[in-house]
Amino acid sequence: MGFSALQIILVFVWVFIVAIDQFDLLESLYQPIVSGAVIGAILGDLPTGLIVGGTYQLMTIGNMPVGGAQPPNAVIGGVMATVFAISSGLDTTAAVGLAVPFALIGQYMVTFLFTAMSPVMSAADKMAEKGDTKGIVRLNYMAMGALGLLFAIVCTLGMLGGSAMGTTLSELSEKYAWVMAGLGAAGGMMRFVGFATLLRIMLSNEFWGIYFAGFALATIIGYIPELSGSALLLIAFVGIAVALYDYQTRVAMKQAAGAGFAANGGDDEDGI
Amino acid sequence: MASNATHYNNLTPAQPLDKATLNKMVLRSLNLQASFNYERMQAAGWLYCILPGLEKIHADNKEDLEISMGHNLEFFNTHPFLVTFVMGIILSLEQQKADIDTIRAVRVAAMGPLGGIGDAIFWFTLVPITAGITSNMAINGSIAGPILFLLIFNVVQFLCRFFLMYWSYNLGTKAIDILTANAKEFTRAASMLGVFVVGALTSNYGGTTVATVIENGDSPIVIQSILDGVLPKLIPLALTLGLFFLMKKKNWKPVSCIGLLLIIGLVGAFFGIFV
Repeated sequence: MGFSALQIILVFVWVFIVAIDQFDLLESLYQPIVSGAVIGAILGDLPTGLIVGGTYQLMTIGNMPVGGAQPPNAVIGGVMATVFAISSGLDTTAAVGLAVPFALIGQYMVTFLFTAMSPVMSAADKMAEKGDTKGIVRLNYMAMGALGLLFAIVCTLGMLGGSAMGTTLSELSEKYAWVMAGLGAAGGMMRFVGFATLLRIMLSNEFWGIYFAGFALATIIGYIPELSGSALLLIAFVGIAVALYDYQTRVAMKQAAGAGFAANGGDDEDGI
Repeated sequence: MASNATHYNNLTPAQPLDKATLNKMVLRSLNLQASFNYERMQAAGWLYCILPGLEKIHADNKEDLEISMGHNLEFFNTHPFLVTFVMGIILSLEQQKADIDTIRAVRVAAMGPLGGIGDAIFWFTLVPITAGITSNMAINGSIAGPILFLLIFNVVQFLCRFFLMYWSYNLGTKAIDILTANAKEFTRAASMLGVFVVGALTSNYGGTTVATVIENGDSPIVIQSILDGVLPKLIPLALTLGLFFLMKKKNWKPVSCIGLLLIIGLVGAFFGIFV
C-alpha cells in the first residue's frame, strides 16, 4: 500500500510532535496507545492502529512480552510498528520486529543529541552573562525542534523506504556500533563535569568529609536492589540530619557567644 | 565574574510573584527537558522555566539578573513532573534575595530525592495501572482507550504541577524569616547538605564501567571486578575528582572537559573498553 502526500505530511508532523513529547509537552502523547491510534487514523485504519498501539503499550509496561524483542525507543517503535502493520497487513508481533531497527536509530539519535547539546551549554553561559533571556528561550526551542526534526525525518524515510530501509539502517548501525558506544560512554561521563562544576563552587575544604560520606552512603544503598527507587530520599534523610545538627549547634554556639559578649561588652565580629 | 558573586546587589525583597507569572512558569515547566544534555541535564531547561519569575524579581537590576541566570545554569536534574516543587522554593528564595550559596544549596538538596518519588508515583503506579486498563480497551477496538489514558494521566500531572508550585512557593516565603535570623548558619548547613547530595549523585548517577577482560586461560581477568573490589564506583569518583581538579586548579572550562571525555569515550570504545 502506498501513502498519499497528505498522509506522509501528517505522519511527519505527528512524529515531530511526539518526538518532543517524549521528554516535554504533555509527556503522554508519545505513548504507543495514543500514538498508534493517531497514526492509524492518519493512514485510514484506526482499528489496526488501536490494536498495535494497545499491544505495544502493554509490552512497554512489561505486562506482555511479545516476541521477546522490545525496541529501545518506544516513540519511533510504536509509530513504525503501526505503519508496517497497516501498510503490509502484518500482525503486531511481525510489525514490531520490523520496527526494531528504527527504534534503535531513535535511541542513537537521542544519545547523539544529548551529547551534542553538552557543549552548547557554554553558549548558554555566555547568554546568562549578558542577561540574554530571549537567547535562553530560543536555545530551548531550537533543541526541541532539532529532536522533532531528526525523528520525523527517520520515520518519513521509513515510510518511503519500507522495511528494506530498516535492514540498511541496522547494517549501518552494526558497522558503526563502536561510535555509538563511544558517544554513549562519553555521554555517561559528562554528568561528572556537571558535578565537578557544582563542587568547584560549593566544596570548601572543610566539606571534603561530607562529600565522601554522601558518596559512601549512596554506594552502599546502591547495592540493595530493593532501595533503587528510594535511594536518594533515604540519603537526603541522613544528609538533612547531619546538616540540621550542624545548624542547631552553630546557632546555639552563636547565642551562647552573643550572651557572653553582652556581659563583657565585647564586639568580636569574627564569629566561630 | 558573575559566578563568583555571593550576594545580589539589590538586597531589598522583590514584590511577591503574581498568579499569572506563577501559572506561566507552571506551563513552562512542561518543557523542563527541552535542552536536556549529558553535562548539565535539565539546567538550561530549568532556567527557561523560571525565567519569567527571575525577570520580574530582578527587573530593577540587570547585573542581578545576570548573576541569577548564571547560577541557575549549573547542573540540574529532578523529576520532570515534580519540578514545580523546586521552582516554588527557589523562586521564594530569589524573591527574598537570599544568599546565592543558600539558593544553590537548597536547589541541589531539593532536586535529588524527588526523582525516586516521581518515578514511584508516575512510572511505577499511574502509568502501569491506567495504561494497563486502557490498552485492553484499545485492543478491543475502543477509541475511548487512548482518550481515557490521556485524560487521567494529564489531570493528575497538572494537579501535581499547579499544587506543588503554589504550596512550595508559600512554604519558602514563610520559612524565610527563620532563614534570615541565622542566615550564615543556614547557608553553611544547606551547603553541607548540597555537598552530601552531590557526593551521593556521584555514585547514584555514575554508571561508567569498563568492559576490558584480559584473557588468562580458564580464569579471565575482569578489570571491572578488580576495581569493584578496591572501591565500587571508583571510576565515577575518580572522574569527578579529576575534572574538579582540572577546573579548580588548571582553570579548565566545562567545554574543554567535555571534549576530553568525548575523546576518552571514542578512543575507549574503539579499543573495546566501553561497549
